[in-house]
Amino acid sequence: MRTGDYKQSYGELVALIDSPPVWLWSAVLLLALIAAPYLLNSYALSFLMIILITVTGALGLNILTGYTGLISLGHVGFLVTGAYAYAVLVSKYHMPPLVGFLGAGIVPALASLIVGAPSLRLKGLYLAITTLAFSFIINTVILEMRWLTNGARGIQVQRPEILGISFDSDAAFTYLCLAIAALTLFATLNIRRSRVGRAFVAIRDNDTAARVMGINLHAYKLFAFVTSAFITGIAGALYGIYLSFVSVEGFPFLLSIEALAILIVGGLGSALGAVLGTVLIVLLPEATRLVFSLFSAQMDATFTTGAQELKSMLYGLVIILFLRFQPRGLLGAWHDIKRAWVHWPLRY
Amino acid sequence: MQYLLQLLISGLAIGAIYGLIAMGFAVIYKSTGLVNFAQGEMTMITAYIAWTISTTVSGNVFVVAVGAILAAVVLGLVIERLVMRPMLGEPVFATVMVTIGLAVILRSAINFIWDAYPHGLELGMGRGIVHLGGIGVRTGQLAVIATLLLLLVAIWAFFRYSKVGVAMRAVAADDRTALLMGISATRVHALAWAASSVIAGIGGVFFALSYDLSPAMFQLGLKAFPATILGGLDAVLGSGLGGLLIGITENLAGGYLGSGMKEVAGFAMIIVVLMVRPFGIFGERDIERV
Repeated sequence: MRTGDYKQSYGELVALIDSPPVWLWSAVLLLALIAAPYLLNSYALSFLMIILITVTGALGLNILTGYTGLISLGHVGFLVTGAYAYAVLVSKYHMPPLVGFLGAGIVPALASLIVGAPSLRLKGLYLAITTLAFSFIINTVILEMRWLTNGARGIQVQRPEILGISFDSDAAFTYLCLAIAALTLFATLNIRRSRVGRAFVAIRDNDTAARVMGINLHAYKLFAFVTSAFITGIAGALYGIYLSFVSVEGFPFLLSIEALAILIVGGLGSALGAVLGTVLIVLLPEATRLVFSLFSAQMDATFTTGAQELKSMLYGLVIILFLRFQPRGLLGAWHDIKRAWVHWPLRY
Repeated sequence: MQYLLQLLISGLAIGAIYGLIAMGFAVIYKSTGLVNFAQGEMTMITAYIAWTISTTVSGNVFVVAVGAILAAVVLGLVIERLVMRPMLGEPVFATVMVTIGLAVILRSAINFIWDAYPHGLELGMGRGIVHLGGIGVRTGQLAVIATLLLLLVAIWAFFRYSKVGVAMRAVAADDRTALLMGISATRVHALAWAASSVIAGIGGVFFALSYDLSPAMFQLGLKAFPATILGGLDAVLGSGLGGLLIGITENLAGGYLGSGMKEVAGFAMIIVVLMVRPFGIFGERDIERV
């Protein structure tokens, strides 16, 4: 039995997978995800798609807010830019979908340079409000550029066909989302254990100290903005394809808050936390509906009439309760359980 | 010229409402160091309660005003006690996120308790039109500008001369030293939340008087952000004036550049201002010790 962590080198400490059981469970999870599209009905499959798309977006925000400590209240701005970049390139100019995805990453990345540059002088709340302002401005820009974006009418998006493989069916599209989510997860995990990731975390913990140690604050903050916007933009493109229709209304401001809620609930500053948080937040309304319907049909009816309100109330409540009672999120709770399991009946 | 004056006056009127809400932001920031993202929702609840009083109890102006102010005080105190006080001593990020969570809850609660349709607040006044040099102005618009100026003076005097005001400034400057001097930080925080709720609530009621109550009213909070950022988060008077500036800018942009620009003129303005002065026009520069 595993009794503790015995790491002797830095390489062992940052290894992505450090023991055979973790290998085993990761493999089981991957196989389950690959088998899922054949086993789940279409209702459950739509939740899986949403989870995979949201994981990608949450990981993008995690680089900026979780690793670098720059709070963004306007991430939905990057999401909507990515979705529009894809829709314009593929539906309007009939480019191949791969070019569309590339554009969905690059356009928000360029936009993030514009919002990131003034943000370098700003700290904390002032920065959060600048990103908030950005997300409102980008919505107006999209609505005003009618010749490119169709304004308020939005753009229809088809499921893509990449390299001769059609992703038209739900199962195939789930695989596309799975592939992108997995790639993003590996990318962010590897960014975290590289020189760049250590610089990010140093900036988060104390930016003055980081600067004294020779970290170029401007370059790394901008890099965090660009990487985060790139990933979020691709998630936006996927979300646009999932909705099969891209419009400003499809990306409400609440998504920015949902993304932050995911990071907090999962555990701020950890890729694994972002994944756990996504699963909880996406499934929360559904789980609540199930619990309600168990009690009585009447409560179920209340839930259907006020579904949207109750759903957002739950977000708010979950955010507040987690911040109050479990500030380290689900990942922190998991660590506590693990430690208790290993050391019981001793406390440590 | 006529058109310009008309835009300026209505800009001042909506700007005064932004200014009141922005002062609400600044009062809380000044004494607790937090940005209250639920300010717009709190404003909205006060306005909705005023509407409920006017339709169920009495349409008398004084009854509605007293009822709305009492409701705003209770709302501020309850939120401070139940939601914010347990977060005392936690990092700023966590506490600010709590206010965001609170905003989401309050917004849905409003849709849940009241309905999603627009309502007009009828008090038998405020919608009459006065002619000032050939320009028609609503009495409600004049009243809100006057209220803002009055409150600006009152709050300036409060922070400058009253014992409680000085205590609030002391807690904002250095809460530990203030505690050692015998000031109760929790009481100051509670007072700040109640005061902020009332000031912003007045703005909300005036908004309902001149325009309409609707579930989209929480956006007032988002509109007042640029005002308080422009003035400086820690400058209560600056925030009030910032509101007037934002209101005028917004109306001029809407009148001359198109309605799309009206929505974002304030936000575009703060990005420019923050690039030059990252702490607002009237805010104090933060000096960091290593």
